[in-house]
Amino acid sequence: MTDKFVTLAHGAGGKQTSELIDRVFKEHFANPDLTADDAAVLSMEKGKIAFTTDGFIVSPYEFAGGNIGKLSICGTVNDLSCMGAKPLYLSCAFVIEEGFPMDKLEEIAAAMAKTAKEAGVEICAGDTKVAGKGQVDGVFITTTGIGRIMDNANTSGKLAKAGDAVIVSGDIGRHGCTILLARDEFGIEADVTSDCAPLWANVKAMFDVTNDIHVIRDATRGGVGTVLYEIAGQSGVGITLDAEKIPVADEVKGVCGMLGLEPLYLACEGRLVIFAPKDKAEDIVSALRKCKNSENAAVIGEVTEDNAGRVVMKTEIGSQTLLPQPGGELLPRIC
Amino acid sequence: MNTIENAKEIISSYKREDGKKLRIMEVCGTHTHEIFRLGIRKLLPESVELISGPGCPVCVTPIGFIDEACMLALEKGAEICTFGDLIRVPGTEMSLAGARSKGAVIKTVYSPLDAVSYAESHRDEQVVFLAVGFETTTPSACLAVEKAKKLGLENFSILGANKTMPNAYKALEGSADAFLYPGHVNAITGTAVCEELVKKGVSGVVTGFTAAELLTALAVTIELSQRGEPFFRNCYPRVVKPEGNPAAIKLMEKVMTPCDSEWRGLGIIPMSGMILRDEYADFDARKKFALPKITGKPNPACRCGDVLQGKCKPSDCKVFGKVCTPLHPIGACMVSNEGACSAYYQYGNL
Repeated sequence: MTDKFVTLAHGAGGKQTSELIDRVFKEHFANPDLTADDAAVLSMEKGKIAFTTDGFIVSPYEFAGGNIGKLSICGTVNDLSCMGAKPLYLSCAFVIEEGFPMDKLEEIAAAMAKTAKEAGVEICAGDTKVAGKGQVDGVFITTTGIGRIMDNANTSGKLAKAGDAVIVSGDIGRHGCTILLARDEFGIEADVTSDCAPLWANVKAMFDVTNDIHVIRDATRGGVGTVLYEIAGQSGVGITLDAEKIPVADEVKGVCGMLGLEPLYLACEGRLVIFAPKDKAEDIVSALRKCKNSENAAVIGEVTEDNAGRVVMKTEIGSQTLLPQPGGELLPRIC
Repeated sequence: MNTIENAKEIISSYKREDGKKLRIMEVCGTHTHEIFRLGIRKLLPESVELISGPGCPVCVTPIGFIDEACMLALEKGAEICTFGDLIRVPGTEMSLAGARSKGAVIKTVYSPLDAVSYAESHRDEQVVFLAVGFETTTPSACLAVEKAKKLGLENFSILGANKTMPNAYKALEGSADAFLYPGHVNAITGTAVCEELVKKGVSGVVTGFTAAELLTALAVTIELSQRGEPFFRNCYPRVVKPEGNPAAIKLMEKVMTPCDSEWRGLGIIPMSGMILRDEYADFDARKKFALPKITGKPNPACRCGDVLQGKCKPSDCKVFGKVCTPLHPIGACMVSNEGACSAYYQYGNL
């Protein structure tokens, strides 16, 4: 097949469709469970499974530190991991715009394969549709995943307790900042790369040191600040943050300063927010710091009984203020 | 002791015997926002009151201006380029967001020059840039007009609501005992204006934007106020020079000339605005589209005007936080991140 662009014929179900699937998807995703039938046939161990799905429409589809393919694997792998589930199998559905460059599609598939391998997950079913020019923007991907929940894991947004430490697995806001700059609307240049990464190994490393982990949440759209308000609400607790302890890269701080944005509300695609008893926090942070993609993990605050449903900031001058609630559209189509 | 601790000590130990309060007005919206973000209000003793003044360009832009912009977009067929903050400010009938849902083309830009580039690449459309702002942003609007003139763009114009601070301070006399002057404005205008104001009995300090700069300015204001005479101090000397930015001033004077200007809540303040000079009249949207005189009608329940003059706190307004919220603003002060109502709402009463 020598087509340089995706055409409507590639989505018609005939010869060109199989050529596209063979050349782009089978080529990269090859594994024993990848099906050519109507559905993949999988074996599961006994126990609880986690099951989730996520759609990806990021614009632009390529950015510093990744592309929509890598993002689509990380998003679903991380959602499973946050439940203490080892990601096992993924499916992926593509909606491709007519005229999309074939080499870019290959790059996206290659990034998906590489990320899946890194996360230890198999892509075993998929679907391809082609939509007319202008009916989608480039390529949209939906991934669905199944994971096996570890017997010793029990995490939920409802389980945060007064006395828990609040931990982030790295410096925040890089993905949102990267996308913002990639859109070229602001005339700002800065050396920022997305934090987009699969985090199963990091979650596993935490459970290797303790089972006593109450909440793990993947801070994506809305950033860490949104996650904190969600947990404060779900668990009926207050959260106090120490502004000076929140890790933010200097470049991200600079861009936020210029545009008047709060890094806590910028999207991440490879950052976990963890709630665990204070006496376990040090072990968790040191386990995370030994892993790739969480070298800058830090305790950023604690859970309190008072101020239920609110997030309070200890400011850099030793005063306190409320973290403003997220609201309105900061930036559409970031993931 | 470092600067921050030193300043905190001066601020927190300030006491008055007469039972009155030292009323300090932060004029700039960025100051308002930073003061809330840092939790500075919680550090103030009872004897100090901070008042959020009219220094957010979106907040002081009158309703009639939004009505004019909507008319340009819906009836005159112009495409509007604007800073994002203005889009949700309510007009008499609707906001620009409302106009957009009726089919108007409203585009967000981050600089007036972006609007010129847009006009350059859309020669078949009439493009109007909504020029609001103080001495900080007016030079870039002037630059945009100059560029459009040089390019010979016949499809670019501005709807102006540019404002200048000096006469606003005079109009606000009595609202506060001292002003925290907006450092970014003084970086352009210099400090002569403030020296003049001292002679008229108006006190203030030029203030920067970091925690140390804000706390220092407050501490200096408290100390100088105890001397019992009008004062001025430049507490932002790393950025604000006495002569300001002569190139920017020259550009503004070349392209624009002072005029009377309407401020939301404060009414018309003589010679507190800037309008395009006759040589640039082709770029004045009001003239180009022969706009009629429009007087906007604010929602009667909204007390933004009183808030901007320090006559009441946002929480004293009946609609604050109930029907007027950042997602559904009734007054301009709730729209902009730098508006006093938005800051009170978002940072809450801890």
